[in-house]
Amino acid sequence: MATVALHEEIEPLKDMVPLTVINAEVLPELRGMQLGEPPELSDAVDRTDHVVDEANGVVVRVHRKVGSEGDLPCVYSIHGGGYILGSYEMDDAKFDSWCPKYGIVGVSVEYRLSPETPYPGPLEDCYAGLKWTYDNADELGIDRDKIGITGVSAGGGLCAALALLARDRGEVPLQFQLLDCPMLDDRQITPSSQLDDLIIWSRESNAFGWQSYLGDLYGTDDVPYTASPARAEDLSGLPDAYVCIGGADGFRDEDITYAMRLYGAGVPTELHVYPGAPHGVALFSHLEIAQRYSADQEDWLRRQLERLG
Amino acid sequence: MVMLDTEIERLKHTVPTRDLSVELLPEIRATLPVQFPELSDAVERSDHVVDAANGVVVRVHRPRGIEGAVPCVYSIHGGGYIRGTYDMDDAKFDRWCPTYGIVGVSVEYRLAPETPYPGPLEDCYAGLKWTYDNAAEIGIDPDKIGITGVSAGGGLCAALALLARDRDEVPLQFQLLDCPMLDDRQITPSSQIDDLVIWTKQTNAFGWQCYLGDLYGTDDVPYTAAAARTEDLSGLPEAYVCVGGADGFRDEDITYAMRLYGAGVPAELHVYPGGPHGVGLFPQTQIAQRYAADREDWLRRQLARMG
Repeated sequence: MATVALHEEIEPLKDMVPLTVINAEVLPELRGMQLGEPPELSDAVDRTDHVVDEANGVVVRVHRKVGSEGDLPCVYSIHGGGYILGSYEMDDAKFDSWCPKYGIVGVSVEYRLSPETPYPGPLEDCYAGLKWTYDNADELGIDRDKIGITGVSAGGGLCAALALLARDRGEVPLQFQLLDCPMLDDRQITPSSQLDDLIIWSRESNAFGWQSYLGDLYGTDDVPYTASPARAEDLSGLPDAYVCIGGADGFRDEDITYAMRLYGAGVPTELHVYPGAPHGVALFSHLEIAQRYSADQEDWLRRQLERLG
Repeated sequence: MVMLDTEIERLKHTVPTRDLSVELLPEIRATLPVQFPELSDAVERSDHVVDAANGVVVRVHRPRGIEGAVPCVYSIHGGGYIRGTYDMDDAKFDRWCPTYGIVGVSVEYRLAPETPYPGPLEDCYAGLKWTYDNAAEIGIDPDKIGITGVSAGGGLCAALALLARDRDEVPLQFQLLDCPMLDDRQITPSSQIDDLVIWTKQTNAFGWQCYLGDLYGTDDVPYTAAAARTEDLSGLPEAYVCVGGADGFRDEDITYAMRLYGAGVPAELHVYPGGPHGVGLFPQTQIAQRYAADREDWLRRQLARMG
């Protein structure tokens, strides 16, 4: 049995994470569960919801620092949850911190989930929200030439796919993509994706997530690269990337490989791999390893914004 | 084509890039690769002959006023297997020894082409073994020895970790591989980039030819000569791998880190876009400072882990 060592700070806490397998039976219960206490949000940030696509229930939330003037850079964010869980509220705390700190407008998108809505629905929802943001940049006080995207886990997979789609459609220019432990490869062919003792997001949960997202395409050779970016053959013309991943995350090898392939296509890519960190290491926010993980990510964001001027 | 960091792009003319050859080697060896800074009085340096016949010497760097057996960092300088001296580690240990409470040991190993593999590696091993055997005399805790190296020194460091594992005489706690030169085959995309600065494709081929001698270009290159060829990476100490995105070693270093993980070896990996080989040659840039700070933070955590 292939195993992986957890960081010494994480090891004693791993029992805090009860579920090891997510499947169709537990999905309704999981969706109803509160993922921890809702965070206290400050009064420093204004949050407004905008309907982008009424028929499909696509909504974006715009986060803007109270009292900020003029056109600001925008970070467009896609929440995680294995394509099957989560909501745009998961990005509230992040933008509560980032908007005042970095002088950005945050936009988080509520996209439809699988299995009810398989590919390409969720990705098209993310695209619709991005396009809406770009088209309404003036009203929102966003500099449309300074839009970057980010996502965690399945949100990172959607983010990578959105960068590909935006490149292909040529409608919305993107300046950067911040891929936080992205879920990129439906094939589960790498050594790390086959580890038996993954916590937070097990091999079985991963297979279930991809089955839900890909529907009839799952397990076939017909999976498009905008569904599973690891399959993309041409990664040229993509925006600057950041890839961070834990060494005890099943996505480790697919993420390192994606970063290496981005480089091969001429895309500047910052890559950080943290030994012993499981998927979703940020859940353990009080630990040193999670703090380093977040600090490195924010430092890159800061430098990207500086570069954009 | 490879994109350099904007600060580096402006400064790259200060460190000329030349394709090295046998003809240029004497001149290159006579030129200092780095400006040697003034050293402080906080560190005592003493040289010890390890192997008189082969001229192997180690320099022990010890912070003044520190008592007892402390952790040791054993360091192998870079220079493509063909140039460089152990003086290149003086400045590093002048800072690290007092800051981290360690003893630093730097090794003067023989260079290729005069001494091809396995000579230089055996020199590094001899210095390490001497350090371990003399731990009590030089005030080192023999169970707290880690190794480090930059560039070819990183390649030798990875090979030394393999050799130490195989010979099982000296236990190692960590390996810090700074833009290591690991793969003689030059088969990765980054190793084939035409416009690399500092360490070009041609220079890299020359370095490997010198180091491997008759083995170069054959399938008989042992894994202790080119660590990227190792099939079994299990049982190695914890690793740190850092490399610039504009370094020809980028892909071989990322791949090595990924393979270390595959063998169950924790490997912290950082890749810095726009960083050329030897980003430390541009110490005034932000990218070089981040590169150095991340590396030292890992060292600090390794030392904390060992207690």
